[in-house]
Amino acid sequence: MKQLVRLLLLPCMVLLFMGADNQEARFQNLGGKIMCTCSCEQMLLKCNHVGCPNSARMISELRTNVQNTSNDEAVLNWFRKKWGVTAVVEPSTHGFELMAWVLPVAGLGLGLLLVIVLIRNWKLRTAPVASADIHLNPELEALRARAHRETEI
Amino acid sequence: MRKDLVGTRLAETARRAGIACFAAVFLAACALVYAALTDDFSVAYVVNHSNRALPGPYKFAALWSGQEGSILFWCLLLSAYGFVLRLRHKVDQRLVAAASMVLAGIQIFFLVLVNFVANPFGMMRTIPPDGNGLNPLLQYPEMVIHPPMLYLGYVGVAVPFAFGLAALIMRYPGEKWIHITRRWTMVAWLFLTFGISLGGHWAYNVLGWGGYWGWDPVENASFLPWLSATAFLHSVMMQEKRGMMKVWNVWLIFTTFMLSILGTLLTRSGMVSSVHAFAQSSIGAWFAGDYGWFGEPWHSMPWAYPGFLEIIFAVCLWFYIKNRDHLRSENKLESLVSRESSFMFNNLLLLGVTFAILCGTLFPILSEAIRGYKITVGAPFFNKVTIPMGLFLLFLTGVGPLLAWRSTSVGSIRRNFTVPAILAAIVGIGLIASGWFSGWDLAKFYSWLAFVIGTLVAATIASEFFRGGRVLQSKLNTNIVFAMYHLMRRNMRRYGGYVVHLGIVVLFIGVAGLAFNKEQEQEMAPGTQLKIGHYTLVGQEYTQDDNANYTSEAALLDVYKDGKFLTRLNPERRLFHASGQPSTIPAKYSTLGEDLYVIYAGLNQDTGHPIVKALVNPLVSWVWIGVLIVTFGTGLALVPNAAPIAAQVPKAVAVAALEKQDMQPAGVSK
Repeated sequence: MKQLVRLLLLPCMVLLFMGADNQEARFQNLGGKIMCTCSCEQMLLKCNHVGCPNSARMISELRTNVQNTSNDEAVLNWFRKKWGVTAVVEPSTHGFELMAWVLPVAGLGLGLLLVIVLIRNWKLRTAPVASADIHLNPELEALRARAHRETEI
Repeated sequence: MRKDLVGTRLAETARRAGIACFAAVFLAACALVYAALTDDFSVAYVVNHSNRALPGPYKFAALWSGQEGSILFWCLLLSAYGFVLRLRHKVDQRLVAAASMVLAGIQIFFLVLVNFVANPFGMMRTIPPDGNGLNPLLQYPEMVIHPPMLYLGYVGVAVPFAFGLAALIMRYPGEKWIHITRRWTMVAWLFLTFGISLGGHWAYNVLGWGGYWGWDPVENASFLPWLSATAFLHSVMMQEKRGMMKVWNVWLIFTTFMLSILGTLLTRSGMVSSVHAFAQSSIGAWFAGDYGWFGEPWHSMPWAYPGFLEIIFAVCLWFYIKNRDHLRSENKLESLVSRESSFMFNNLLLLGVTFAILCGTLFPILSEAIRGYKITVGAPFFNKVTIPMGLFLLFLTGVGPLLAWRSTSVGSIRRNFTVPAILAAIVGIGLIASGWFSGWDLAKFYSWLAFVIGTLVAATIASEFFRGGRVLQSKLNTNIVFAMYHLMRRNMRRYGGYVVHLGIVVLFIGVAGLAFNKEQEQEMAPGTQLKIGHYTLVGQEYTQDDNANYTSEAALLDVYKDGKFLTRLNPERRLFHASGQPSTIPAKYSTLGEDLYVIYAGLNQDTGHPIVKALVNPLVSWVWIGVLIVTFGTGLALVPNAAPIAAQVPKAVAVAALEKQDMQPAGVSK
């Protein structure tokens, strides 16, 4: 069993550390995080207006930035500075916008904590509430066990 | 005695009043549809959402295409659900009466909106010769059924909510309300599923950006109640089978209903910007209250007042605090490796995804309230946050049903999971070896994981059917297919649920195809070639057309695959006369493996040649097939179980067996 788990985990670990680092992939990736500012509400690389006043310029700026800067966050910050914070559809990872990233994780963590507390309380409970006043009938119990066996395959 | 009689008569009067309410609202909706169909431009709503040249079905769809009409439609559906509920009151007269009271409260709120805030029967001072027409994005056949489906889902959630709240108010003993509302919840969930997927299909075919889900706030608004309703459908099983998680279930259904109201608020108020472009209006104050501090575009009053959402929350909280001792769990968790704990983690993840999407959707409002500007939260954020949780949920879909109630032994786990895990490993290694995933990035890694986990889940589902079938095969002395059919007929809910899970696997496989999308844009003069994937598009000509409703421009393109002629496509852009709005009509060539999706991007004014954008979207068809399987599975789960069949044991064998054990056949005394 352990070997099987290792076999399954190995490719996952290997793949996690394999990232394509070419310029085109970065361009496509960042283009999917920037919104066209022509009010079409589309991603920069998805804006399909011919004659769009902004997209061609923004795409060329993105290409130049990808070539000149190796840090993706710096590219996004450049666009935030030039075109306003609404141009980037991914919240920044610092300042107030960091909260957008923290909140879902915190919510999930809080939920996990709640589940653990709930399970602990259940485990600590000495006896089931309902079973206190039930007189066990051996025949009924045997039937119940049989039903359990036959339905829980 | 007399008090009981008066109470019974009052309850019957209330029931009939509810039925009369349905008749009245139905009549109002018919009047509005009649006005639209007959081009009665004395009605302002008809002027704003219809015109003479609009085809009949779209005139009918005008009922829900504007704010006022859609609120009337909400009323109609709510009263229709109430009507069915009141007809079926004999299932439990007291509980249905109390649930009807809750429904009537909701109904009153929406009727107040229709009568005093968003009146669909406002009259024009001067009657114009023609209307402004329907939003061009809505002039698509699916749009005639997508909103009703979604609304049936949103409104349908009100029924289990009403039962849940009524049971809490009454301190109703037992789990009967769960049994009564199980089918109602599943029907609402089915409508939501179907409505959301129709919306995705419409977006794919009409919006012209090449995708079916863009994490738009309006899309998210429909997804939120779906997620919490899914959590509810799973966790109620714990209450039914083990008398556990009563508080959780009650709050889940309360949350689901509040999310459906929030969805209506987000869609209708203009709180968040959306490509679906619904106008801002003051109606938001009625839903969310007016406090003047939380990014409210409707803020106008100098004093604060609560909205419908806060009132619902306050009512739910009040009755929960008052009667919480009634919701005490009857059993305890016996093992961490059990069906119960898998449901808990399933619920945790579903609510985690719900919370993450809610945060992302409402964060721009929070940012505006605190920082003074509205930031944009789009697809990259939602993909990053939800995909890992979604994949883990998919994993639980396969694991959960194989764990037994109370506790599961290690032997049982090994027996149930060895074959599926081996199959998943083979698929994973096979995919790497095939070279499909060359040039790995995170998207491809997620895609690969979806295939591997999908295989695991599909194999566990298949093994469940097979092992159950084999048990019945020996008992019924029949073949495996017939045995599996009977297995399913004996427990439609369980095996229908497995079919739903299978549909979810197929849907995930379809979504996994997104990692391999390709796109190319080019000007297409006659004879020009555009190569993308295996396809070659050859420009033929550029055409224009004009009719009473719109003018259109289209490019005619011949499509070749590996040098062989396949088909001719004509992507089109329409400009509607009445509204002056454009609409993109993409052209597609769909196969099970991939879609060739072509968009008319515009005309190069200098050369007079059309510009087209071509995309190859792998596995998109599997998304729609997955939805159909989910729909089919839910339908199966709604069918009542068949009576168990007596095992056909040959008489001589049975008698011999009985004699051996010194027993008599049933009904024969010694």
